[in-house]
Amino acid sequence: MSETGLRELTLTVNGRNHAVRAQPRKLLADVLREDLRLTGTHVGCEHGVCGACTVLVDGQPLRSCLTYAVQMEGHEVSTIESVATKGRLSVLQQALHEAHGLQCGFCTPGIVMTFEAFLRQHPDPSEAEVREALAGNLCRCTGYQGIVLAILRAAQQMRTEP
Amino acid sequence: MGQENFHYIGQHAPRKEDYRFLTGQGRYVDDVEVPGALHACFVRSPHAHARIKSIDPGLALKIDGVVAVFTGQDLAQWTTRQRMAPPIEGLQPMEMDALPIDKVRFQGDPVACVIACDRYVAEDAAELVQVDYELLPAVTDMWQAMAPGSPRVDDALPSNLLSHQQASFGDPSARKREAYRVVESTFSMHRQTHLPIETRGCVALWDAGRSHLTFHVGNQVPHPYRTTLAARLRLAESQVTIISQDVGGGFGQKIALYREELVVAAAARQLGQAVRWREDRMENLLASSQAREDFCRTRAAVDADGKLLGLELEIVEDFGAYSFYPGNYLARVVAMILTGPYKVQDYSYDVRVVLSNKVANGPMRAPMAITSWLMEGTLDAVARALGQDPLAVRRLNMLSAHEYPYSMATGEVLEDITPRQTLDAAVEAIDYDSFRRSQKASLAQSRYLGLGICTVVESTTYGSKFYKSAGIPGSGHEAAWIRIEPSGVVNASVGLGPTGQGYETSLSHAVAEGLGVPLTQVRVLLGNTDIAPYGMGSRGARGGTAGGGTLVLCARQAQSHVLAIARHQLGLAEDVPLRMLDARVQRKQEDDWQDTRLSLADIARQAYLDPTSLPAGMSPGLEFHQTYDPPPMTYSNSTHVCEVEVMAETGAVHIRRYVVAEDCGTVLSPVVVEGQQLGAIAMGLSGTLFEHVEYDANGQNLTGTLADYLVATACELPHIQILSMHTPNRRTPAGIKGMAEGGVMGAIGALSNAVADALAPLGVKVEKQPLTPMYLRALIRAATVSNKETA
Repeated sequence: MSETGLRELTLTVNGRNHAVRAQPRKLLADVLREDLRLTGTHVGCEHGVCGACTVLVDGQPLRSCLTYAVQMEGHEVSTIESVATKGRLSVLQQALHEAHGLQCGFCTPGIVMTFEAFLRQHPDPSEAEVREALAGNLCRCTGYQGIVLAILRAAQQMRTEP
Repeated sequence: MGQENFHYIGQHAPRKEDYRFLTGQGRYVDDVEVPGALHACFVRSPHAHARIKSIDPGLALKIDGVVAVFTGQDLAQWTTRQRMAPPIEGLQPMEMDALPIDKVRFQGDPVACVIACDRYVAEDAAELVQVDYELLPAVTDMWQAMAPGSPRVDDALPSNLLSHQQASFGDPSARKREAYRVVESTFSMHRQTHLPIETRGCVALWDAGRSHLTFHVGNQVPHPYRTTLAARLRLAESQVTIISQDVGGGFGQKIALYREELVVAAAARQLGQAVRWREDRMENLLASSQAREDFCRTRAAVDADGKLLGLELEIVEDFGAYSFYPGNYLARVVAMILTGPYKVQDYSYDVRVVLSNKVANGPMRAPMAITSWLMEGTLDAVARALGQDPLAVRRLNMLSAHEYPYSMATGEVLEDITPRQTLDAAVEAIDYDSFRRSQKASLAQSRYLGLGICTVVESTTYGSKFYKSAGIPGSGHEAAWIRIEPSGVVNASVGLGPTGQGYETSLSHAVAEGLGVPLTQVRVLLGNTDIAPYGMGSRGARGGTAGGGTLVLCARQAQSHVLAIARHQLGLAEDVPLRMLDARVQRKQEDDWQDTRLSLADIARQAYLDPTSLPAGMSPGLEFHQTYDPPPMTYSNSTHVCEVEVMAETGAVHIRRYVVAEDCGTVLSPVVVEGQQLGAIAMGLSGTLFEHVEYDANGQNLTGTLADYLVATACELPHIQILSMHTPNRRTPAGIKGMAEGGVMGAIGALSNAVADALAPLGVKVEKQPLTPMYLRALIRAATVSNKETA
């Protein structure tokens, strides 16, 4: 391993602090995947279009392929690995399972992270609003119909059982 | 038309794969952890066509962390060339090196491979490899490719015409002479790419002590892939294990052995160290595999009512620069099945496939995608030429139920399909007559509504007989094993390579049905060539019929074995009917099935741990193996109806409604099948509206990012209404037909026909895809100008 320009970083990911040695140019997505072995964050395009690499930073969705890990010091990063609690799926994850909102699963973590945040901010979205927000995540398998249905169902369930 | 005779097939159960995907615990290629693995990065040609004069890796090798730079010369020592030369009339043989040595043939062609300690360093170094090129003129258009004196893409071939096939059935020329009208139509489909959200990639581990290669790669056909990889590395097949765990979409892009993968495998072996490669999106768009790009012409000879008397088809396909598949592989199927559900015996085709300085073509979900647009667009053109209703013209020409089995002019036999039923159901659901009324009323207000109908006969499963008759080496059979373990749980495997379809779920239905056990008791193991039996993998729409069919047969074999043990144990005569349901042995008494005291677990324990108590001569254990060769071809059918509004001011297309009636026979998992229907339609719509790999006249690819290669998002795709039908195929296990590509075929045709219908009042002909606002606006503008001039 080339040692040039390595820098010590402290990252807070999924509520835990991690000490990482990485070059300043190393992308957050790569540090999560390679250094922290959190491989649920997927890299689909490396230019911010497909949304597969979406994580939450201080609760807001962010493309980890357009972010350097060094920028994340002092911020809270959440990844797909933190969404289910003790193996129990979140309301949104469960809804995606029941409405067949995923096939190959590669885009799924990005969609889950985007909408965990979205549904907190938009508890009662219309279908058009869901589709608009979902336009930032590309899925090649489903045609989006099951995903949209799952998100609307999850919203309804979260409203009735907060 | 139901499928009520089954206990497990057709159950609406959610997928088994979902939990790991939803929680970020999938295992895609790049998730495989290999400590100390080196990273590969490819140096790619910036030119479409150029001689390689020299390659100087000097500067790259000076970078800290760079281990090696390999070129085509190096790889030639460690690998064999690929030769694509099946004995097909009219097809030129083609050969390909592991990496080009003499010249590059498209922008993105790999010329060298840098191996370094990490991907960042490998990419830095790749930029420092100096390649001296001598530019050659590029072939970037199919007509230029065929022009006399055109530059040759492959110097070993006499011309760029890679494949040319013609056939004539009946007497189409005579029918043209007798016809009331001959309606000529043209259709151009643009170059597209598969765009799996997970790009290509691989990890190669060479174990020098065992002389064994373990190769992780996302692949649809793990065993045939292993055969090819082993041969090209001069290894025995037993020296290679292919592992393809979770795959983030394939759509046909992950079938062939790519040169990058071969190089990574060879490099790992040479260096004695693991090497991995993760393709980036630009490489995927510039250098993986592309598809389509056809020009087609039909000439329909019809009588005054629009009845088809004869039909001629011409196809020219731009195949790109290399043969990863035989050149005729994609376009010829279109010609074989064009006429689909319509009655016409006087038919001819002429199919030319040409080379160009572009990425090589491969099968993309529905390689024969253009078929239904060609046929249905032709019928629409006939209706327009004669002033007839397009639905009436379809009904006039469509085969009736009593005419099946029907031998198409090409000799392909259609049976157990129901196009009239799907057509009736779809037009009824959309309320055809009331649409025509509202279309008329809207037109009076200068609003352009259109409705497109597209009936699809989808060739799904290709049996070995089809390959044989088409002259293609290969087999359509599949293999499976089932092991009932001592506790009574069931492991099963088949040679399919899953790429996200949900095979672990749908194939569990097949095993559960054949054996009589709950879905939860079945585990399906796929994607490891040391575990799965040698099968032909996942391609076309063969998963259900070939994979599911083989497992149904294997599971039935297992059930009858288990019941033989049970009969012996219970001391019952041969004529007492027994069956297994929910992993319990049941016997028929009068008209009722009654539980016996035996469960599958009891039998399993006995078979493994007390074999001396088995019936005389029976072997211990419960292991079963089965191979199965499906019929020459199976077909599903569907009718797609799409309603659009085209904005005359902007050329924008808004899809207002979309209905599909699909009869894909017995459905293993309705959840998985519905997902395939929706996904296929989405891919067809997206391709028709947006997706376009564009090359300029110099062969520079203009669509190297997802900001340039556009795909439909959730905002552009409509809600799709599905009407399901289930007419079983009589020749396959459980009546399975296969499906998953017809949606692409139908969507392309229904949407294009709808837009053509919307703009027909302007006198506009819609002959080209993609249906971009720019293209449609240009048509509308030209029509408006010429209409004014006429007025």
